[in-house]
Parts: sequence; structure tokens; C-alpha cells
Amino acid sequence: MTILNDELREPVRNFTFPRHTLVSLLIFAAFWEVLSHLAPVLGIPPFAIPSLLKIGRSIVTITPIDIVVTLARVIGALLASFVLGLAMAMAMYRSETLEKYLHPIVRLFMAVPVVSWILFAVLWFPGVEFRIGFVLVVVCGPVFLIDTLDAMRSVPRELRHMIKSFRPTTLQFFVKLMLPAIVPTIFTSWKVNISLAIRVVTIAELVGAVTGIGHQLSVAQELFSVADVFAWTIVLVALLFMMEAIVARVETRLLRWRA
Amino acid sequence: MNIAVRSGPPPIEVRGLRKLFWQATSGQAVVAIDRLDLTIAPREVVAIVGQTGCGKSTFFDMMIGLEPPTEGTLHIGDKSPHADFDYFRGKIATVFQQDRLLPWRSALDNVKLPLELIGMHEEEQHIRALTWLNRLGLGNFVNAYPHELSGGMRQRVAIARAFVVQPDILLADEAFGHLDEVTAAELRETFLALARECGSTAILITHQLEEAIGVGDRVVVFGKSAKLLADIRVAAWPKEKYAVLREAIQFTLQNNQADPRLL
Ligand SMILES: Nc1ncnc2c1ncn2[C@@H]1O[C@H](COP(=O)(O)OP(=O)(O)OP(=O)(O)O)[C@@H](O)[C@H]1O
Ligand SMILES: [Mg+2]
Repeated sequence: MTILNDELREPVRNFTFPRHTLVSLLIFAAFWEVLSHLAPVLGIPPFAIPSLLKIGRSIVTITPIDIVVTLARVIGALLASFVLGLAMAMAMYRSETLEKYLHPIVRLFMAVPVVSWILFAVLWFPGVEFRIGFVLVVVCGPVFLIDTLDAMRSVPRELRHMIKSFRPTTLQFFVKLMLPAIVPTIFTSWKVNISLAIRVVTIAELVGAVTGIGHQLSVAQELFSVADVFAWTIVLVALLFMMEAIVARVETRLLRWRA
Repeated sequence: MNIAVRSGPPPIEVRGLRKLFWQATSGQAVVAIDRLDLTIAPREVVAIVGQTGCGKSTFFDMMIGLEPPTEGTLHIGDKSPHADFDYFRGKIATVFQQDRLLPWRSALDNVKLPLELIGMHEEEQHIRALTWLNRLGLGNFVNAYPHELSGGMRQRVAIARAFVVQPDILLADEAFGHLDEVTAAELRETFLALARECGSTAILITHQLEEAIGVGDRVVVFGKSAKLLADIRVAAWPKEKYAVLREAIQFTLQNNQADPRLL
């Protein structure tokens, strides 16, 4: 028998929508509604602050395919960035020379504004999907790389020493020690990058894409349909919160070993 | 459970061993080990004592094969733990001062680790790890994470992890020093009994002279830079003269030269 069977273990809390968030959202919505009715009095053009009803109508007309396309771009690019960033971090951890040469370049990449990357992508690559993927990977990849490399560096010397005393192969060293040790950092990095990617993807989609939320936003802007802009923005924010909630759930499950 | 006693571990031969470190900031050389000669016979239990910074842990690092010698040789049988790194997989195991368990693994999975590294069949890993946890009295805590265990229990897991590969050579670097006296004495007894049963050669670094005299067939006294000040066969001393022996070792450590009573 074991002392710690599953019944005795502290239950993992399910995700519940916090009451305070709900209340503050409702207050904000009420404020908005009032403002939209007062707009003519305040000398604001009525289309600038659409009523909740109008936004609601726009949300109903939203095309799910654009959400799916944008989501697919984000998830695909994040996975590619993660694999690439982690692989390079492992290589740079192994080789100090490589690290010395690559580190400045990575820093340089991180300093370049997103808009410049988008312009470069348009100038360099013909395919729309490739452009968007390139921009996302070049923005998110370095974040994964730097985060995971730093985390590997701070794995305690004692643990590295311990596992080496059992003579692992290089692969075993990473699989049995380094990767599990940096899992908490990997989660933090994912959360940061999800919100980064969601914001960047829409700007990237503004340029040349004929599908996706960014494209729909630019269409709405051309039609002066503020209600549509709001509807798509709400969808984006909801998407972001949903993805973060999913990551947070996986995180609590995987990091149960923490005190 | 029966522990297969093998033909016996190979002897350890240290000849003219030197180890220098270069300090990162000043670039100055630190002589951690200076021309050490030492032979350890199969199945011997040796205690190493010496003042802090005298090179004991460095000596262990070289036994483990983490560091190459600067000069001289360290051989186990006819092989070098550094040059023949892979050969010694599963043959040398170390218990460190801190338990050094992986916090994301349960007690059982921590004990399995060395077996995973030698690529043992999964079922056998499980049986072996369970057996050793049971032998160390942790049968009820197999699935506990390290943070759910006391310091003494964690060190038991670390000992199980070392024994699970049934190594030829066991190293213990101040493995019991941080525990309370009763727990330390208990664990030390367990460790030695198991080491003898397995037929392993065991080398223990310790700061406590009672511990050194109590455990060892031999007590080796290191001076600065791992200079061999004294090499004592404990069996040659009758039990009632242990107090004198203790005093003589103390004198040796303080003066960095062998007490005449030890010669
Ligand atoms: N990686 C290293 N780089 C530079 N100097 C080192 C390194 N490792 C050890 N030393 C030096 O070598 C000497 C011996 O250190 P070592 O850790 O072997 O001592 P020790 O006998 O184990 O001491 P303690 O009893 O305090 O554990 C010390 O002067 C230490 O500063
Ligand atoms: Mg030491």
C-alpha cells in the first residue's frame, strides 16, 4: 500500500471563471452602452461607439473559417518556434563557441520591430502563408530560445553532477535532466508567446492575406464598420484567454510535483 | 532478496595523481591534488578524512570520471574512469551530501534513474527499484515526491538509488553529515551492511573521526592538496585504544603531518 494514493492527494482545481472578472466586465459593458447612447450629445460621431446590440449583431455574422485559419497559423508557428528555439538552445548549451557567435544575433533579432519584419517578409517572400509564418517564428523563436537557454543554465550544478555520476549519454542528459528541469520555464514562455503571437499575427495578416482575423479587421476598417472591428477584437481576446486557460490547465497537471 | 555476489570489484590504483585548477578571475593555479599515491583493494571499506578544501571531493570527481587528471594516473582495474567513461556506466555509484533527488520524480522513479541510464528492461527496473526502497524501509513511500519526505528519508532514497545498480564501487561524500546523530548512525550502519553484502568497494569521505574509525577497514588522512599524511589499518588498533587513535588523527589534521603514534 502507498500512503499517497490518489484519493488523498489534493484535488487539482478546475478552471472556474472568477466572479470578479465577470463583475468588472459587466460594469465595463454597461458603461460602454451608456456612452454609445450619449455619443451624439457629446459630439462624437455615432458609428465610433457602436451599441452592444450592434456589436452583438456583428459577432453573430462572424465567419468561423477566419478564426480557424488564424488559430492554425498561430499554433503552427508557435510549434515551429518552440522546436527551433529549444533545439538551438540545446546546441548553444552544449557549445560555448556556438553560443558566443549566436547570442548577439539573437539579441539583434529581438531588437528589430515587428513592423520591420513584416516589411522584410513582404519584400523577400512571395507566399502569404510563408510571410506570416516567417514573421511569427522570427518574433517568437528567440523568446523560446533565450528563455530555455537561461533555464538550462540555472539547473543546479548539484543535479548536473549527480546525473553525470551515473554516466548518461548526451541524449539521456537532456531527456532525463535538462528538459524536465526546465518545464516550468517552458510553460511561462508559452504563455508569453501565445499573447505575443495573437497580437503579431493580426498585423501580419493585414498585409496581403485574404483570410484570417487580421484580414477581416482590415476589411471592416475599409467599410468604416466599427462594430465589426469590435466584434473581431472581442473574438481575438477571447481566443487569447482560452489558449492561456488551456496552457494553465496542462501546467497545473504537469507540475503537480511542486510543493 | 538475494544479492548476487560477483567475482569482486577491480582494485583502485592511484599513481602520482595531480589535479590543478585555474581560478577564473585571477588565473592562478590551485593545486587540489598533489602527487597522490593510493591503492585500494577490492571490497575494502575506506574512510577519508581531511580538513576542508584539502581535495577530497576533487578526488571523488576524478573517481567518478568528471575531471581528467592533470598528471599521473587513476585506474580502476586496467581502465580509467575518465577516458573509459562509458565502460563504468552502472559500475560506480555515489551518495552525495545533499540527497540530490530529482524533485519531479517520485521516490520510485528516482531510484529507477540509474537503471534507465543503463537501459535495463522496464519491468526489471520496477522490481529492482521497489526491492531497494523496501530494503531501506521506504515501502510505504514509493510514490511520494521528494518534498513530501523528511531529510533522512530522502537520503535513504539516494542510498537506494546508489545501490540499485549493484555497483563495484560506492562513493559517499559526507553523505550522513547533515543528519541528526541517531539518523546518521542508523543510515551509516545500513549503508555499510549493504555495501558488504553487495561485495562493493566503499569509500566514504567524512568530517567525523568517530564515523571514520567506526566504518573503515582503513582510515586515510589527507593533508593540504590531498597529501597522504597517514594510512591507518583500524584492525591493528584494539577497541579500547580508539580514543588514542582519534587523538592522533586529530593531531595529524591540525599539524598537517603524521602523529608519531600513527607511524
Ligand atoms: N572546479 C574548480 N575550479 C577551481 N578550483 C576548484 C574547483 N574544484 C575545487 N577547487 C579547489 O580545489 C580545492 C579542493 O577542493 P575540494 O572541493 O576537493 O575540497 P574538499 O576536501 O572536498 O573540501 P570540503 O571538506 O569543504 O568539502 C579547493 O581549494 C577548491 O577551491
Ligand atoms: Mg567536499
